[in-house]
Amino acid sequence: MREYLLLLVSAALVNNVILARFLGLCSFMGVTTRVDTALGMGMATTFVITVSSMADWAVEAWLLQPYGLGYLRTVTFILVIAAAVQFTEMSVKKLSPALFRTLGIYLPLITTNCAVLGVALLLVEGRMSFVHSTLFALFSSLGYTLVMAIFAGLRERLALADAPRLFEGPPLGFITASLLALAFMGFSGISG
Amino acid sequence: MQESTSQVCAPAGEQESIVRVVAVEADRAWLEPEQGMSCGSCASAAACGAKGLGTLASRLEARRYAIGRASASGAGIDLADLSVGDRLVVAIDAGALLKAAGLAYGLPLAAALAAAIVAQEATGSDGMALLAAVAGLAAGLGVMKRAAARMAARGALQPRLVRRADAVRTLIRIHRPGS
Repeated sequence: MREYLLLLVSAALVNNVILARFLGLCSFMGVTTRVDTALGMGMATTFVITVSSMADWAVEAWLLQPYGLGYLRTVTFILVIAAAVQFTEMSVKKLSPALFRTLGIYLPLITTNCAVLGVALLLVEGRMSFVHSTLFALFSSLGYTLVMAIFAGLRERLALADAPRLFEGPPLGFITASLLALAFMGFSGISG
Repeated sequence: MQESTSQVCAPAGEQESIVRVVAVEADRAWLEPEQGMSCGSCASAAACGAKGLGTLASRLEARRYAIGRASASGAGIDLADLSVGDRLVVAIDAGALLKAAGLAYGLPLAAALAAAIVAQEATGSDGMALLAAVAGLAAGLGVMKRAAARMAARGALQPRLVRRADAVRTLIRIHRPGS
């Protein structure tokens, strides 16, 4: 249990996908105007990152490594991620059309989210077991969702703040993001 | 005066978006959501590939839905006055949207992870854990289907027609903490 907790703190806070590794910045700036939208996007991304990391683990362990095909890793993982997104979209569409109509806005945006590929490539470096790599992917994406929700909450309040005109919108967003990244640097002390 | 974005400011607790009328029949109108997210609609979308999997038009077409006469009159709109190309504002409860996301993504994932951990602890084999995860995912999707059907039957996933998009600008309800 202790190792799972350490994995959670390490993946979600200390090595946060957005604020420590600077991955997934497009959705970080683009889909954080409302907390509920950010949370929905976070949940969809969590699902895709975790499912694609399961598939990537299998491809790496049973195909790329045994046959010395490591040079095809990036291309293969991109294919697996695209397939995972399509699988998710098709499953939700077939199983519940009403749910698909409601949530359809999130999935197409995840295909090109570099956080998904970034986490998959980090897992290869980690050389973990299946369950550990899956949990690492889950915790990384929970960290992503946490930061998305925090940032969306801050932006909701900043939208109402009396800011100088030149700073309104994205400039204030970038300044807030940098302050948030500095705050998250505090977690790096935990690993020391 | 036209509302220019698909994602419009909504009262707290509701998420509003803009849809376009694509067909009008005697007793119902077919609506299609406008693409409104930053990714896929920005100037660099062609270069980054956000439109890569399926065309934007085909994805939006898959999300078409119909509203009946009663639903339209509830928003003060007569179905006979609607014509193809009209833009309307629809709203969905933000809580229902989050519940739907949790149902679609959280439930199958939790089932897959639980199955994988149990299999790993029981057998110590990565292969068995992977197989158990796939079985758990399938079971989770099955449960999600039933739960989503119940939610849809209650009407929780049906967007509510609010008004014409070009009739009145959306009012921003200022929600200050503590007020």
